[in-house]
Amino acid sequence: MSDAAFDPGILRRHILSMAHRGRLAHVGCALSLVEICAALFGGVMRYDRFDPLAPERDLLVLSKGHGVMALYACFRELGWVGDEDLRNYLVNGTRLRGVSEANVPGCEVSSGSLGHGLPVAVGMAFGLLRLQSQRRVWCIVGDGEMNEGTMWEAMLFAAHHRLANLTVIVDANGFQAMGHTEEVLRLEPLVSKFTAFGFDTVECDGHDMSALAAALDYGEDEQHRPRALIARTVKGCGVSFMAADNRWHYARLNDTTLAAALEEIR
Amino acid sequence: MRQILPSLFLEAADSDERFLVLSGDHGYELFDALRSRYPDRLVNVGVSEQSMVGIAAGLCRTGFHPCIYGLAAFVPMRVLEQVKIDLCYGSLPVIVLGDGAGLTYSVLGASHQCGEDVACLRPLPNIAIYSPCDAHEFRACWSEARGGSHPSYLRIGKDHPDDIHSGPVSGTSPIVVSEAAHASSRSVIVATGAMVRVGLRFAHEHGIRCISVPRLKPAPVSLIPLLADAQRVAVLEEHVSAGGLWSLVLEMLQSAGTMQPSNIEPIGLRDSFTQTAGDHQHALSEHGLADGQVANRLTQWLQGSLRTDDRG
Repeated sequence: MSDAAFDPGILRRHILSMAHRGRLAHVGCALSLVEICAALFGGVMRYDRFDPLAPERDLLVLSKGHGVMALYACFRELGWVGDEDLRNYLVNGTRLRGVSEANVPGCEVSSGSLGHGLPVAVGMAFGLLRLQSQRRVWCIVGDGEMNEGTMWEAMLFAAHHRLANLTVIVDANGFQAMGHTEEVLRLEPLVSKFTAFGFDTVECDGHDMSALAAALDYGEDEQHRPRALIARTVKGCGVSFMAADNRWHYARLNDTTLAAALEEIR
Repeated sequence: MRQILPSLFLEAADSDERFLVLSGDHGYELFDALRSRYPDRLVNVGVSEQSMVGIAAGLCRTGFHPCIYGLAAFVPMRVLEQVKIDLCYGSLPVIVLGDGAGLTYSVLGASHQCGEDVACLRPLPNIAIYSPCDAHEFRACWSEARGGSHPSYLRIGKDHPDDIHSGPVSGTSPIVVSEAAHASSRSVIVATGAMVRVGLRFAHEHGIRCISVPRLKPAPVSLIPLLADAQRVAVLEEHVSAGGLWSLVLEMLQSAGTMQPSNIEPIGLRDSFTQTAGDHQHALSEHGLADGQVANRLTQWLQGSLRTDDRG
């Protein structure tokens, strides 16, 4: 566990600064993840803050790789990346890129291509179960990513093999790259779909830290079902002019918008 | 060749408790021996080849040594991007077995035929590609793949009961399977996989050199000195020539700084799907690759008179 605070405000400031420095899009889909990551690193997940590669760590798979700045922000609080890494984000030749990359300690998979992270996470959970390990696998997926057929293939496998050590967290911010998820390709009702696929499924406000901690609290399921949390989030959460505005899937922060955004997060 | 797979699986499972085979609901009785001794070492993931590759990657990342089995038309073709991102990018030591490559599944048509897998995989970093011609080469390729620290693809083409080699082969580098009968002979047949059989028969009949190439990536560079004295080379493969062994020979010659020999004849699949029902030889005949057609083409090639419009 960690003594880092994972204050959502601080994490959001890191994300905004990185996005500004790196002139990177995908700010909105990182901001929707902040409390989910804060809850995982702040007490839910088992890991060694001094060693991101500790052998007995839980595995966190960011399947929606585009939200990686939220992970980097947590890594900064843990000291796994430094201020220098954030300051130089996306500068030529630096190591942190714009999606989750397995060669960065803390990122367990390379996942920018959607629909890859969950199958790999399922394979990890299957492997750990075969080893009778107590380690758990946490996989954050996007609601837009749920368009991919591989997600549903992997869910079938997870339920069939009773991967009770797997928790899928859907960052349900209601948007995908080109619009509302319900307008592009209807996903709802997500809770019943996950339940029908054999998951022990709960739903909560994805920005309420205590609700998240309660929802992610890992009770034993008698049926050994994998777990799913549909975390209802707001894309761009924390910055009024970004919230639920899909332009911030693409827009870059300039000095003015950065200052305005930071002003809102104190 | 294929008949040794059950024993290879068993040997691997005996010696390595982390060895697993994953199948996308293909393989029929191929896994019976493995399943009877180790019921949990064969994981049938269902008809889900794409997630199977990711699941294998996850198993590998938790310490297992998975082998993925499928028909080549599906594994690796259908799952090409999963192979690229989930296996190659992280250079995970997962073995990919593509069965029935080439036109093996002649009666099922284009959906089950696969003449492009090598060309599709060759540009992917970190993966080794093998195309063995018989059980001995297969065992050598399997052994090398099992010892590797990177992904490997084993292409299993049309199975013929008889072996090419009389005994075990020592590695996966190009192997001269037939030596020239006369020192003056300057024609060489280079072949891979199922086409070695027909190339070798012709080479024996005409007293020319024939070389089998079991490993296609990393590039089999020791082939180049074996061609140094050749005037003409015919490259046989049950795969499209562009991107396959024919391209590979040209690339290696260029990289070696020589364009000698300059006469490199492609004898591979044409740029077309098969159109009609029929057996394997019939499917090959649509590409000018049935045994008799290959012999005729090689005869013309040997005479140096192969017309351009006959080329594959």
